[in-house]
Amino acid sequence: MKGLFKSKPRTPVDIVRQTRDLLIYAGRNPDSRENKREEKMSELCKNIRELKVILYGNSESEPVSEACAQLTAEFFRENTLRLLILFLPKLNLEARKDATQVVANLQRQQVNSKLIASDYLESNKDLLDTLIAGYENTDMALHYGAMLRECIRHQCVARIAILNDQIVNLLSNNFLFRMFLQSKHMKKFFDYIQLPNFDIAADAAATFKELLTRHKSTVAEFLSKNYDWFFAEYNSKLLESTNYITRRQAVKLLGDMLLDRSNSAVMTRYVSSRDNLRILMNLLRESSKSIQIEAFHVFKLFAANQNKPPDIISILVANKSKLLRLFADFKTDKEDEQFEADKAQVVKEIASLEP
Amino acid sequence: MAQQDEEQKRVQYPLDSDYYKILDEIGVGVSAVVYKAICVPINSTMVAIKAIDLDQSRADFDDVRREAKTMTLLSHPNILNAHCSFTVDRRLWVVMPFMSAGSLQSILSSTFPDGLSEPCISVILKETLNALSYLHGQGHLHRDIKASNILIDSNGSVKLADFGVSASIYESNLSRGGWPSSSSSSLMLTDLAGTPYWMAPEVIHSHNGYSLKADIWSFGITALELAHGRPPLSHLPPSKSLLLNITKRFRFSDYEKQQKDKNKKFSKTFKDMVAACLDQDPSKRPSAEKLLKHSFFKNCKGSDFLVKNVLQGLPSIEERYKESTILHGQSVMKNGSSEDEEVDDEGDPVRQNIKQRRISGWNFNEDGFELDPVFPTESRDELIVKLVRFGGETIIQDHGGESSQSGEFEFASCTEEIGVSGTENMDNSNPNSLNEISEEAQMGVQGEEQSAVGRSGGVQIGGQGLDTEAMVRGLVLLKTSLDDQREKVVSMIRMFQGEEGGEVSKEEQMGQVIDELRKELEIERQRNFEMEMELEFLKLQISGA
Repeated sequence: MKGLFKSKPRTPVDIVRQTRDLLIYAGRNPDSRENKREEKMSELCKNIRELKVILYGNSESEPVSEACAQLTAEFFRENTLRLLILFLPKLNLEARKDATQVVANLQRQQVNSKLIASDYLESNKDLLDTLIAGYENTDMALHYGAMLRECIRHQCVARIAILNDQIVNLLSNNFLFRMFLQSKHMKKFFDYIQLPNFDIAADAAATFKELLTRHKSTVAEFLSKNYDWFFAEYNSKLLESTNYITRRQAVKLLGDMLLDRSNSAVMTRYVSSRDNLRILMNLLRESSKSIQIEAFHVFKLFAANQNKPPDIISILVANKSKLLRLFADFKTDKEDEQFEADKAQVVKEIASLEP
Repeated sequence: MAQQDEEQKRVQYPLDSDYYKILDEIGVGVSAVVYKAICVPINSTMVAIKAIDLDQSRADFDDVRREAKTMTLLSHPNILNAHCSFTVDRRLWVVMPFMSAGSLQSILSSTFPDGLSEPCISVILKETLNALSYLHGQGHLHRDIKASNILIDSNGSVKLADFGVSASIYESNLSRGGWPSSSSSSLMLTDLAGTPYWMAPEVIHSHNGYSLKADIWSFGITALELAHGRPPLSHLPPSKSLLLNITKRFRFSDYEKQQKDKNKKFSKTFKDMVAACLDQDPSKRPSAEKLLKHSFFKNCKGSDFLVKNVLQGLPSIEERYKESTILHGQSVMKNGSSEDEEVDDEGDPVRQNIKQRRISGWNFNEDGFELDPVFPTESRDELIVKLVRFGGETIIQDHGGESSQSGEFEFASCTEEIGVSGTENMDNSNPNSLNEISEEAQMGVQGEEQSAVGRSGGVQIGGQGLDTEAMVRGLVLLKTSLDDQREKVVSMIRMFQGEEGGEVSKEEQMGQVIDELRKELEIERQRNFEMEMELEFLKLQISGA
């Protein structure tokens, strides 16, 4: 077996093809003799390792762009990516990690100055479903999660790529991204980021954040179209979660979203709701300093709003003295001029409110 | 295939604190406590639980997440995995196997203050190398190899622990190298992490990037630590150790000077192995895999040998921990926390991934007196602060860069006055070029701050996107390194002035320092030149487009 492959150096295309064949084999039920299967599986793992070395290089050699392009072209010419994703659970831990790195790298590889991974995913949307559902499988979550984040990160390609193909990339990536945001899966993240396994929950949270902060225009569009259900879920499931880490991450992310200029319309809408104000004021009262500070960065938007609806005003007026007392000894751990300035502004706003 | 073994191996530990019974506290730090506990539903298996206070972490929990992920995805007999991790209110519980003999650092300071015997060291280092070889094969750097992160179980098995500052060369911020353009620099890291005494010179000078070989350096330091009971230069405050680190080689003779017991002899093969690890040039250091074949590890004994020669009669972890807290009580706690507070005070999120902040499961043996990197309050530790800050997008702006770049050899004047004139002391230097560098770098910083599309007026690229960013970053790095160098010189001056006895050796040392700095300056010039070329090239590209 070994002699057969060693006889002449295999090209990247050969390795991809053989990997594909072995993946198909791996996907079949293990009816054949066990030791033969074992041999084939280890051959498969070796192949995936070789693909990784071609793409990343190793201590002895640098990756060769020509070889990477050949590999990438062959990879997407047929359904190797699909097979690799689908049969990932059949591989051992090391091969899974290698495969994850291979998939990550392929997202950035260009063939004829095109990111063909993006095209491939566009026409194979269901693969994203598989990746997302990976969060429900403890053993696969971190692998699929890492692949997923790479798939939705297309914009961070090398600078040359951006200079040459910016428009093309933007279009195709945004397409993928939009498709993703609007999919039903977005809702699943509200649960994934509260999974009990910390490593998985944290990975899901990182993906969630990535989805809601990268590609600004798309996010803005998503938020305005999905405002109602999204923020209803966001408030009840995340900001009012019983889980400390969920609340803390959620309030931070909320601040990041609302303070982004591209989301100003959404922000204006958000800070006009008394329910939202109530939730943020509860967060301000938390015993966790970190949550308090993050909550303040959202709360200040309510206070600074120059067109406050009457019910917002009445809540603020009713709580005027309490709020002012709270802010009186509200400090960050380190000196933060911006924070102090914001606080002074908020205090001024609230103090000037009349019933 | 390994698939079945793996599933078998993965006993699912319960993700709920109710199922664990805490027996004893075995370590404490500012943001974490380590307990010895049993997991009741799994045959009351003994576990160690590291409870990390999340309220002190950054809100995106990136560092904690990375650590948890690394501990989940690595699988090697010489690496300490986490059974699982979950949150308990504001704390993150990381459940790990209980390594009953504790860390080598704690073993050293409690029982072997003058170090271990060579055969024992050989066993420990070989097992550690196995772990390193695996890690490096995975593209992971540990970044904090030292005796306190090497744990031993009662059966003598050795595991490498604490991935709090580890990094993957595949996952790090790759914008610098311009992936996928495939230059080797894409597999380099530039942020600063680790613990000063063990830190490789290229990590301290991290603008040049460093890679797997940085761990080999720390491994070499760890070898010395095991041989002597403490790391080299630990009689100096950490920042000074950083300084000397880059300016001179470690020699075994350094120990002979410091140490009272000069009788300790080491074999040639051991010295040779350590010397190979401590080569200033990272590319000359052997890989972990290659080191395993070194003759020092031939005829290496097994884990039984450790049980007989190291573990027997050793006080338990709990006893060692209690003794250390009783003996040194309050002051220990203070020392332990002062270094952390020092970091906390600045509160710069970028620095949260440095070692001083993290508390490893076993890293609490504060009874080691000078062994512990306690940061002095004198101004010299600014060096560390500065170095440490340098890491992500947040770039130094704290000190006036103007005077900083060129005063390298003005020994007569003290600290701040070092001006451009200092450069004239140096042959064939050109002050102007240096000024240009710093000016460009500063504009770079401003550009970064504005973070507008058409950033950085000094660097006249009208374009946008990563190009400019990379350029700005490069220039900022340059500036940082110049600042660093100034800092070092200032410290050297202080050192010099502080010891006016003016021994010949000091002067020699200074001479070495000067030479080193001179070389570095040359390198910086070269880098600057390259950047300018690149800038020209980009301008051409843009104007052509």
